[in-house]
Amino acid sequence: MEEASLISGYRVESKVWDEMFDHQGIRPLYQKMVNAINRLSAEEMNHKDDLAKKLFMSQGVTFTVYSSGEGIEKIFPFDIIPRLIGAAEWKHIETGIKQRLKALNIFLHDIYHDQFIVRDGLIPVQLIYSCPGFIRAMVGVKVPHQIYTHISGIDLIRDQDGQFFVLEDNLRTPSGVSYMIENRSITYRIFPDLLPRIGVRPVKDYPDLLLNNLLSLSNRQTSAPTVVLLTPGIFNSAYFEHTTLARLMGIELVEGKDLVADGNKIYMKTINGLKQVDVIYRRVDDEFIDPLVFRRDSLLGVPGLYSAYRAGQVAVVNAIGNGVADDKAIYSYVPEMIRYYLNEEPVLKNVPTYPMENPELRAMVFNDLSRMVIKKTNESGGYGMLIGSSATEKQMAEFRRAIEQDPRSFIAQPIINLSSVPCYIQGKLQARRVDLRPYALYGPHGIDIVPGGLTRVALKEGSLVVNSSQGGGSKDTWVCNE
Amino acid sequence: MLSRVAESIFWMARYMERTNGTLRLVRTSYISSQDEIHDFTWAPILQHYSDRSDFPPGDSKQVIEHLLLDKENASSVINNITRARENARAVQDHITKEVWQCLNDFYHLIRNERIHAQILRGDAISAMDALIENGWLYHGVLDTTLARGNGFAFLSLGKFIERAILSANNLSIKLAELDYHLDRPLEIPALRYLLYSLSGYELYLKTHRGNLNADLVIQQILYHNHFPHSLLYCLVRIGRYLERLQPESLPEVYKNLDFLTGKLMNHLKYTPVDIRKGKELGRFLDHIRSGLYEITEAMNKNYFGHF
Repeated sequence: MEEASLISGYRVESKVWDEMFDHQGIRPLYQKMVNAINRLSAEEMNHKDDLAKKLFMSQGVTFTVYSSGEGIEKIFPFDIIPRLIGAAEWKHIETGIKQRLKALNIFLHDIYHDQFIVRDGLIPVQLIYSCPGFIRAMVGVKVPHQIYTHISGIDLIRDQDGQFFVLEDNLRTPSGVSYMIENRSITYRIFPDLLPRIGVRPVKDYPDLLLNNLLSLSNRQTSAPTVVLLTPGIFNSAYFEHTTLARLMGIELVEGKDLVADGNKIYMKTINGLKQVDVIYRRVDDEFIDPLVFRRDSLLGVPGLYSAYRAGQVAVVNAIGNGVADDKAIYSYVPEMIRYYLNEEPVLKNVPTYPMENPELRAMVFNDLSRMVIKKTNESGGYGMLIGSSATEKQMAEFRRAIEQDPRSFIAQPIINLSSVPCYIQGKLQARRVDLRPYALYGPHGIDIVPGGLTRVALKEGSLVVNSSQGGGSKDTWVCNE
Repeated sequence: MLSRVAESIFWMARYMERTNGTLRLVRTSYISSQDEIHDFTWAPILQHYSDRSDFPPGDSKQVIEHLLLDKENASSVINNITRARENARAVQDHITKEVWQCLNDFYHLIRNERIHAQILRGDAISAMDALIENGWLYHGVLDTTLARGNGFAFLSLGKFIERAILSANNLSIKLAELDYHLDRPLEIPALRYLLYSLSGYELYLKTHRGNLNADLVIQQILYHNHFPHSLLYCLVRIGRYLERLQPESLPEVYKNLDFLTGKLMNHLKYTPVDIRKGKELGRFLDHIRSGLYEITEAMNKNYFGHF
């Protein structure tokens, strides 16, 4: 039976955890899916691949890339083979993320109020105050229900033993959740009947859960609070996501110029005058949100918004100032936070992280640069990053110089061999590296994590960079009932 | 409804109406240039839908490409579709997913290389037909999926204001083509193409049994109650959709707009126009157009928050 089936040509790299294959063959988790696709001819698979591309294009699921003055819309590269996660694995992830978020949320409240964690000497005070995401204006501000991290995306990876690690916390305005929803709406059409057969948990509850959380943040005595989604506008690369979420929740999508502050209240301009706004789910970054307090040259936000927020007249989601908790230098302290605030052992491990401020660690990293990843503490999206194993001598020298000039802004981590999953590329099943970003919603009634998330995949052979700006794509993520 | 959203929907509708109108006009003009009319000139059309006039005579394909696909031409169809889509993109959560997808498909169709090649080297009419069909699809999708709320009212206002302007434009273009003489027999084919470009030929045949007469053609374009491209029909609709907005509007806003539409309607209905005096008809059409601009101006101020 070992004829030219899809599976037979599949090659796994050594020292990499492949999520479909172990040394004995196909893992039981993947068995049903393999049965379903292995019988398909190349023609059928190509047809499915084309169908996916067509559906993405006609639904306008795009992100915008700017070159030579004209915005070009590209579809986010999508691989049709879903990535599977078993029930037990998911349970572990869920518990770990909930624990982590609880601690991070307490940390934010602590940092902007009493700073016990600093006084007790767990985190050096200069680390907090040198963090660009630390917003002085937030000190002493009361936020509704003491929740800061309403929406977060926690990036997870698996090492060569299959163990999950947290790579990054995204607590400001994490994006990508619309791809989680859209990817599912496409895979069920590509693989009819397969989702129920495998027992895949649905992700479509996300907008409802989010809307309920947003509604509960309103401070006004009204049965129908006004919730809006604030977008930077159609030129933002995540604009598609903003419209999708606004539509799925049935809330108004507004731009900064649609809102106006008056007497510490926020109003939106409508065809019959001004209407008060109670909750703002903003996708505009902290520094652009209010030119009176933050960047003065930006009109993406609303003048006077901060003052209204501080007065408790409008809720802002996520809270302002979360950047201090997902700074890459603070990241290495999260396990300590979990022990300190919750008196628990962390369920999900951190990747070992060396702050470059420490001269000894710096010397160690410089000696071993080819096995390290260097990251800027305040950047994301795969920018400001050096992967030692594929960097040239010149790039390494540049980073060494930059680190010595400003060590606070860099961290180093050992290169983790991300796990691989099968992808359908050029008519063959090929192993490619992935990470996973589940989305967690923190509301007054607790934390919900929709079973699934965004699996990002490095589509270039051997590459470890999954960011869409750097040749990455996505896959649908199926959490199975098993 | 947000002012910005109302404005974007209004302009989406205007750009789509303009797209469909331009496509029909270019299509019928092209056909007439190939077949019946001698000494055909694109000059009056270029005057309305381009800022260039330096095309060598006899090369229709180049002119069509310029009117439909040239991104340098601010009034080209491709630019109109792009703008319609950009407006739709900014209000995606207020139109239905179906409408957005339809517009998005239209945009990808006109950017398609095959359409381009067909216009330049193949049968330009098939290419234009494909585009026109997409325009009809857009209207059908709107009609079957969109809720009849404020958004629909702004959409319809945009559509009928633009349509009235287009009908007036097409008539003006034809007048210029005929050098303002409407009472000579050789104008018969020109009049037929005028009706084609407004989808009004069949209605004319049914009403007047094929006896093409300049006076009756112009009567139909100006006053016919049931002709969806007549100026009167468009104005009646504009009045009706403004009425729908009344409960949502501040009283003085509605009063002002009601006054402007009423005034324009009266001018249209009760101004005697002698079609034998072509120039006079031209001035009359100018007046109607400026009345429509006045209504748009008032909407800008009162609903869209331009001060």
